[in-house]
Amino acid sequence: MSTSQYFRFQRRIEQLRKKKLEQTHEKIEKEGSLDEDDYGRIVPPVDGWETKANHKDGSFYGIDGWTDNFCDLMANHLVYVDPNDAFAGRWMYFLSRMRSNKWNPDYPYEHLQENIDKYNIICGIGDDAHFAPDYSMGLELGFGGLLDKIDHYRKINNSEEQKKFYDAHERAVKSIQKWIKRHISVIRDMIEEESDFELKRNLYEMAVVNENIVSAPPRTLREACQWIVWFHLASRTYNRDGAGGQIDALLQPFYERDMKNGRIDRDEALYYLSCFLINDPVYWQLGGPDKDGNEQASDISFLILKAADKINTSLNITIRVHKGMNEDLFQKALYYLIKNKNGWPRFSGDKALVEGFMKNGFDAATARQRIAVGCNWMSLPGMEYTLNDLVKINMAKVFEVAYCQMIADKNGNSTSDLWRRFSKHLEVAVHTAAEGIRHHLKYQKYNEPELILNLLSHGPLEKGLDVSDGGAKYYNMAIDGAGLAVVADSLAALEQRIEREKKISWEQIQYYIKTDFKGADGERMRLLLKNSERYGAGRSLGDKWAGEIKAVFVKLVRKESEQSNRQLFIPGFFSWANTVEFGVTVGATPNGRKSQTPISHGANPNPGFVKDAASLALASAIARIQPGYGNTAPMQWELDPGLAKQEHASMIGAIIKTHFKMGGTLINVNIMDKQKVLEAHDDPEKYPELVVRVTGFTAYFSMLTPEFRQLVVDRILEN
Amino acid sequence: MNGIITTIQRMSIHDGPGIRSTIFLKGCNLHCLWCHNPETYSAKIELEWIADKCIGCGECMSVCRTGALTVDAGIVQLDKKKCMSCFVCMSNCFTGALQKVGREISPAETFSEIEQDFPFFKESQGGITISGGEPMLQEQYVTETLQLFKNAGCHTAIETNLTVPWEKYQRVLEYIDLVMADLKLMNDQKHRQWTGGSNRQVLENILKLEQSGKAYWLRTPIVPRVNHSKKEVEEIVAFVSGLKNIQKFELLPFHSLAASKYKNLGIDNFFEEENTISQKELECYNSILEKYKVIRK
Repeated sequence: MSTSQYFRFQRRIEQLRKKKLEQTHEKIEKEGSLDEDDYGRIVPPVDGWETKANHKDGSFYGIDGWTDNFCDLMANHLVYVDPNDAFAGRWMYFLSRMRSNKWNPDYPYEHLQENIDKYNIICGIGDDAHFAPDYSMGLELGFGGLLDKIDHYRKINNSEEQKKFYDAHERAVKSIQKWIKRHISVIRDMIEEESDFELKRNLYEMAVVNENIVSAPPRTLREACQWIVWFHLASRTYNRDGAGGQIDALLQPFYERDMKNGRIDRDEALYYLSCFLINDPVYWQLGGPDKDGNEQASDISFLILKAADKINTSLNITIRVHKGMNEDLFQKALYYLIKNKNGWPRFSGDKALVEGFMKNGFDAATARQRIAVGCNWMSLPGMEYTLNDLVKINMAKVFEVAYCQMIADKNGNSTSDLWRRFSKHLEVAVHTAAEGIRHHLKYQKYNEPELILNLLSHGPLEKGLDVSDGGAKYYNMAIDGAGLAVVADSLAALEQRIEREKKISWEQIQYYIKTDFKGADGERMRLLLKNSERYGAGRSLGDKWAGEIKAVFVKLVRKESEQSNRQLFIPGFFSWANTVEFGVTVGATPNGRKSQTPISHGANPNPGFVKDAASLALASAIARIQPGYGNTAPMQWELDPGLAKQEHASMIGAIIKTHFKMGGTLINVNIMDKQKVLEAHDDPEKYPELVVRVTGFTAYFSMLTPEFRQLVVDRILEN
Repeated sequence: MNGIITTIQRMSIHDGPGIRSTIFLKGCNLHCLWCHNPETYSAKIELEWIADKCIGCGECMSVCRTGALTVDAGIVQLDKKKCMSCFVCMSNCFTGALQKVGREISPAETFSEIEQDFPFFKESQGGITISGGEPMLQEQYVTETLQLFKNAGCHTAIETNLTVPWEKYQRVLEYIDLVMADLKLMNDQKHRQWTGGSNRQVLENILKLEQSGKAYWLRTPIVPRVNHSKKEVEEIVAFVSGLKNIQKFELLPFHSLAASKYKNLGIDNFFEEENTISQKELECYNSILEKYKVIRK
């Protein structure tokens, strides 16, 4: 590779970065703020494609409705080619969000609605994706191989319903192929028009790459990346699926073969990987053990990190930390985290994840394959259906129900009585959530079959069954608890201030909660409660209660498992970006939280939970409340920029490793300069490139709603 | 024997190698006018008023028997001279603005509080540091505490001003992995002027340390008006260059972060107007370090 070639790639990457920022700006301008991932999506044209209803309620459901709409969208989706890019394609439409209704009304769940509302449960009924495809299958078969597979199994599974099932998947694959072919045609036209010789050559290569993979499986690194891009764009378009895989292991054979054959050099590989990553902030894992426990990191793992550094946009890369880890990869990851302060990479802890998942009855080899491919979640690519990150119980609301009931009963108040009531209500809430999941599993195929993810799952095509309907190998259903710190701190404040210190009475507390701590006296009371022994301080009352909550939540979720139905229920603590909307439903709480303000984030203590050493206290506290069955209770770490210096990398690394040794599962890190984040909050356009790790996902700060920006600002300032 | 400490600072990263917990002991036999920990001047437990937390409600005044607390334009004022340190006001303060600085703690309690961070120490090759104030003024507590941590396999360090007789150090050195000490000024008169004590014992003890075989670091805080000059620094560096067994020599820049502590404690701050010295400013001493072949780490 000549120096001029290197700079040419560099220029192209810079152009792509610039364009990405323009696209983000356009998205904010035209679509407004969004408290979500960047997704890599670009704005669709005005008066663009529209869905076709197949139900009287104006929405579309079932395999026909989804196949018709998806195939029609693919046939009409705009072609996207950038001569600076190594890959064709971008996605524009949230098909799953274009419905007027997300659940087929023919399968009602009124019997659950009362408790869903009562306990403010996000029930997951009708939600989609949130499990991982097995990209290795796709890279091995290609689209043509997938069609052959469909053809093969349609002869074995030949009921009427299954005939329709295979027809639908065949149509879906062919519609993706046609979409690719339309791109090839446009690329060919662009080659003719392009005057820059190098860009012309790039377009020519892009056309050949795409022609090669329309049907056949990819053979080169560029083809493999382009294949993943196409499948992913189709899957994103279908239902926002953002799950990735063990990207270094997936691409390693292509990279090594190309390098060995002299087809590419490292600079060219770096260019491909940069283009690959800028396409979409997919959740990819780097490093980590293979099924035999051997480290998977290789040269390409480092190259992927380097590519990420080059583009430095919104990224969702996770480094798996384990005993046999490639220490150099870990150090490099820390280096980029500190250098860019852009919320990537994050880190997952192999020990607790593997040991926890094995408690469900899986062997170590299987458990090691359950990798970080989603916001807060792990998944066995292609092997399980999970509803990860989709079912959440607002425990602060459950607490409020219990508290109000105790006060209303006027049988005397105590924290022990409150705890008994809370546990009982939590049991009902967990059961309601589990019933919701069971309802979803029963009817989701009539609502929204997983037409695209079925293709890269082990089972659906083989059995002729949707992945939600028995097609998957395993059903490891996630239920997350949210608002842990609000509940723990509330119980601690009541026990400390009323029962131990006798500083205040239940009547006083009730008065101030009812009046939302109004007035000077109210504020004094609020601060008194807020300054009680909080969760996270270490050996505090709050820590004690957090431990109790964890224990009962885990027990209740596990109780819902049904081995006979192959349904396991796995607990986690996570709130995603729902802290604001969960908070709106909950009045003032005894921890000094004001009415309708956000609940605590995920498994984190409430901000300001400890006077100093927040990082150690946080790492210890969250390690202690891990549910312990392979799902996560992530540590959201607002790392002080004063510590986030390269000379302190070893200490940051030590905290990460220690958290994982203590039982931690996932660490999301933010390093935000306070002044900068305040300025960006006032004027988001001032820092259009500022990326924040909101929770499991990263987002452009400027894209967030003012309310959510405020939440992020508070979190950073108070920590 | 119990000790009087101000705080146990978890995740201390400037008081020795790795992640450490630093135990700050109360009471000092010097009175360095720029001290970053003025709360350790006095050996007694005292009252602190935290401006940021005070909402000016005046609840504290209603129980103060000596009139040490007043409210002026919505802001509470603490008159240290009148304060009898009865701490009754503290229990009436809802916001936590009035706090006790200092607490009595046993070696076992100290161990118990810190023990939770052992995994972080292990991973980062950190440990505990006993600092102050001057820890050697509470020799028995220090000895017993160090023994406990040493027996648990924890790395131990002490930060001392080296002003106490060497015999005292000899009694605890076996429980210490690292000694860190300040070398503030070579000129004894100036040392007395700025710290309230002589540096003779300090220099003598440094030479004893040098011969003891114990790992030690020397640190020179660079303070405006005190030693922020090539002459003062050169005198110190020349002395350090003669030490063959020193592990590390550091120039530490004066910073103004302690200003709020002076304010909260009602102590005069002689360096209120001085700005923090940047690491870059310290580079002006590089030529001196090079001249004497002393490597600043």
